[in-house]
Amino acid sequence: MLSALIWIPIFCAAVIGLLPASVSSSRLRSLAIASISIVFAWSLYIATQFDVIDIGLQFQEDIPWLDSLGLTYRLGIDGLSLPLVILNNLLTIVALWCSDTSIQRPRLYYLLILIINSAVAGAFLAHNLLLFFLFYELELIPLYLLIGIWGGTRRGYAATKFLIYTAISGILILMSFLGLVWLSGSNTFEYNPLMSQGLPLTAQIILLGGILIGFGIKIPLFPFHTWLPDAHVEASTPISVLLAGVLLKLGTYGLIRFGLELFPQAWSVLAPWLAGWAVVSVLFGAFTAIAQTDMKKMVAYSSIGHMGFILLAVAAATPISLLGTVFQMVSHGLISGLLFVLVGVVYKTTGTRDINILQGLMTPERGLPIIGSLMVAGVMASAGIPGMTGFISEFLIFRGSFEVFPVQTLLSMVGTGLTAVYFLLLVNKVFFGRLPDALANLPRVSWSERLPGFGLALIIVILGLQPNWMVRWIETTTTAVINDFTTVAAHLPNPKTIDLPLTPAVSENPLPVRLN
Amino acid sequence: MHQFLINTSWWVPCYGLLAAILTLPWAVGLIRRTGPRPAAYLNILTTAIALIHGTFLFNAVWGQPPQYLEFQWLQAAGLDLSFALELSSISVGAMELVTGLSLLAQVYALGYLEKDWALARFFGLMGFFEAAMCGIALSDSLLLTYALLEVLTLSTYLLVGFWYAQPLVVTAARDAFLTKRVGDILLLMGVVALSTYSGSLNFSDLYQWAETAQPAPLVAALIGLSLIAGPTGKCAQFPLHLWLDEAMEGPNPASILRNSVVVGCGAFVLIKLQPIIVLSPVASGATIALGTMTAIGASLVSLAQIDIKRALSHSTSAYLGLVFIAVGVGWTDFAFILLFAHAIAKALLFMSIGSIIMTTTCQDLTEMGGLWKKMPATTGAFVVGSAGLIGLFPLGGFWALQRGIEDFWLVAPWLVAVILLVNGLTALSLTRVFRLVFLGEPQPKTRRAPEVPWTMAVPIVTLIVLTLLIPAILNELTLLPAFGLVNVPGVVLLVGSGLAGCVVGSLLKLNHTWTRPVQAPLRFLQDMLSYDFYIDRLYRVSVVWVVSSISRFSSWCDRYVIDGFVNLVGLASIFSGESLKYSVSGQYQAYMLTILIGVALLGAILTRSFW
Repeated sequence: MLSALIWIPIFCAAVIGLLPASVSSSRLRSLAIASISIVFAWSLYIATQFDVIDIGLQFQEDIPWLDSLGLTYRLGIDGLSLPLVILNNLLTIVALWCSDTSIQRPRLYYLLILIINSAVAGAFLAHNLLLFFLFYELELIPLYLLIGIWGGTRRGYAATKFLIYTAISGILILMSFLGLVWLSGSNTFEYNPLMSQGLPLTAQIILLGGILIGFGIKIPLFPFHTWLPDAHVEASTPISVLLAGVLLKLGTYGLIRFGLELFPQAWSVLAPWLAGWAVVSVLFGAFTAIAQTDMKKMVAYSSIGHMGFILLAVAAATPISLLGTVFQMVSHGLISGLLFVLVGVVYKTTGTRDINILQGLMTPERGLPIIGSLMVAGVMASAGIPGMTGFISEFLIFRGSFEVFPVQTLLSMVGTGLTAVYFLLLVNKVFFGRLPDALANLPRVSWSERLPGFGLALIIVILGLQPNWMVRWIETTTTAVINDFTTVAAHLPNPKTIDLPLTPAVSENPLPVRLN
Repeated sequence: MHQFLINTSWWVPCYGLLAAILTLPWAVGLIRRTGPRPAAYLNILTTAIALIHGTFLFNAVWGQPPQYLEFQWLQAAGLDLSFALELSSISVGAMELVTGLSLLAQVYALGYLEKDWALARFFGLMGFFEAAMCGIALSDSLLLTYALLEVLTLSTYLLVGFWYAQPLVVTAARDAFLTKRVGDILLLMGVVALSTYSGSLNFSDLYQWAETAQPAPLVAALIGLSLIAGPTGKCAQFPLHLWLDEAMEGPNPASILRNSVVVGCGAFVLIKLQPIIVLSPVASGATIALGTMTAIGASLVSLAQIDIKRALSHSTSAYLGLVFIAVGVGWTDFAFILLFAHAIAKALLFMSIGSIIMTTTCQDLTEMGGLWKKMPATTGAFVVGSAGLIGLFPLGGFWALQRGIEDFWLVAPWLVAVILLVNGLTALSLTRVFRLVFLGEPQPKTRRAPEVPWTMAVPIVTLIVLTLLIPAILNELTLLPAFGLVNVPGVVLLVGSGLAGCVVGSLLKLNHTWTRPVQAPLRFLQDMLSYDFYIDRLYRVSVVWVVSSISRFSSWCDRYVIDGFVNLVGLASIFSGESLKYSVSGQYQAYMLTILIGVALLGAILTRSFW
């Protein structure tokens, strides 16, 4: 069942690659959209078959692959990955829909997007450390090419920067995985939350450090974030949608799956520091966004801030906060996707993204009033106005984290307030005011360009009014994860008695240290 | 029938929302053939339905104990978020006030915005606005109230920014949103904290919690202050008060609501939160202090305004300051009566000046004069509205302020002085406006001034009648004191302060052509008042400056320190590669030497422990 999510896009990518060059670009796009729509429908079907009260993995598939390496093809889905898989397919459809039909080398373009879709789905579904790593790396190359070939003027720089950063992230994650498996004396890379239990705390912290920095680059967190604004500015609109909406979620997903779940003891030791890091990231992202003049950069920095909330909530590790993280991943995916789509339309019609040049786009008839209205909706959703998904995820995160880290939570809430500042500046400068003569003859925006915006805005509002429709898929898993976490984290090994031995050592009498 | 009305009470806020959604095809331009009028009629119709439904509901709940409706919203991970509605005579009465004034304002808007191309958008926003306010009136859950306050912030932003092509409107909308948002975020902090400590966000549960809870003084103070912050922003109290003044750039029908019931919503929430705020003496003290500062400061500032709408909006802040004082001291009955009387009188005043603005297309007091003969209904509205606002026997303002004086007479005599001062200054300010606008010689802009069309006149006359009927309504609601129990010295002082204000106002020397005094101290005083004590400049050099400097600094850090370091690493690796390539010389000797040095170094490192 789950394999279809990975292999249908790959199959279609192969078909697109083998088609003759005479096939028109718009037909290729329709083919790609059709195939992802099938996958999307399939993921929805899986959601209907999903047992919401089962705490374990569902629809598991297990095929031995390279046993000597410990690599098996093991897939499974739970409440953490299900929403992200659906989000991935939805945003891929949006990205394909927004793709320009007049691009060069359309076959390669659509092929790469389909591969990204497949790789991301694989990463969310994989339950073998090595398999996850393979998918995690697989998504990297197509994205590098998509930015490097169809990007803006400084695309070479941005794409290389992205590649180097993400490759380092991959190396760090691989090192931690290898270290974990070797130190724990296991002979398989099977995903097993109990693997780190026997390790001394120092070793755990070092391994977790690799994971944190590795995924911290991907999320991205301050100070590993500088690739993101560059990549967003140079990438075309659909790639930005994918990058912000889906690929960043790999980092936050990894943080929960491979940080919190694999290293509960080290995590609970580092949690206060992580919360502090989250605050820095939130405030840095928000403040830097205020000073930006490029709309895409502004949205990119806002992503850094909003991803910081996730680190805060995962650090707090309460059932409510973890529920909030998954909700935040989905709502950030939808909202930033919406914002990038709209910025893309503005850029396409006006030729600029500079908020100091654009003005008065709300003007009816000659301006972009509908895009402007959708922008107001997107901006308000991002600022956490109730009635849209952003509010629920932020409320859950704050409510869940406040019990554990009150001060850090309150500081992060300042970040929410600052979100309103920079996005309001954007709307006020770009859409309000008088339309200058230079912008008076804008090309018309067709309804098909508005459609993705409307669709995303509608989902944002529906899930914002009726969060139960998403929460019920997530809740069981996140609660179970936190239960496991707290039981393991309560038994901390004494860090002083053991000094990083190379053989697995189990502390005889674990001290019952209670954190928090 | 009774239970049916109770169970369907949640429909009332939904009418406005429904109309707002149904207006969309006209607002976005999908339907052009009919013009925007049908959207307006649709909204007026649903508001009327809401009003009628509310009236039946009011009859059903009158004299009954409060009833509660609960809707499950989100239960997850041990968190129970439900929306509760309270149906009591107070909450339904507040909702009636909202829908009634909204209906009048919408009919008024039909005339006021007759020629505006975006009429449909305006009415859609009004429906949204009305829905949020009705919801706040009924809500019995702090979370729902918070959510609706935020929705109100959003719709205020959109309504103030209605004429978004004008630069002043753009800044006004921005400031309105951001100022309120500051209050909202602080309120959200309080909501999150309360939810964590008490486990529920329904007001009734919170009251129970507040009775037994013994939070640490610091925690209680912080919670109390954060809960005050939200209403402070909504009610335009110091230090979050500047937006209301700027918001007067928006269309007047929305200003009618904003100055009467929107600020009232903030105060309503404050009153609801009062049992929690009193947990901390610091918070109640802060409420009184903020209220007093705003009441006196805003009354003074309104004296020196040139813009007719701004002069009145500052008096709104002043009256809401009195409400804050009342809540801080704990006399919520005074707060309710004052809110009620103020809302109707202020709405009438704003309708009156709306007609003036519509007729003269001018908001500048110095360019007006002699309108009383040309616009009798408008003049009447202004006079009645003013009389209803200040403590003039026997209208609404009198009974409200009298109640306040009675409440404070023994517990806090200095607050009586504040009430008298605000009353006197308001009377003075209104007299000044009246003289400038209606008396004197007609000026170029007021020479041709026909009375407004019936769509505006009907709401005005209705409200005049309503304002005059307030004593009767209060009597019907048994809110008037028994005649023998009236505090005579208090009443004398109250009426005296109003009269003194009027007398000073009529004797004051007013000059149209030359409005700034020549004497330096007087000029300094007037400038200071007309620029709101220069508080906006204070903000510009404090909060705004701090935020923008931090943002510029972090952006600089980002570009030059973090990214600079990253680029330096890249540059260093490219540079070392580029320079090392010159070592590929083809000479075996050089290669051998390199290998030898490498091996020697490696050997030295490996054998270090033997040395």
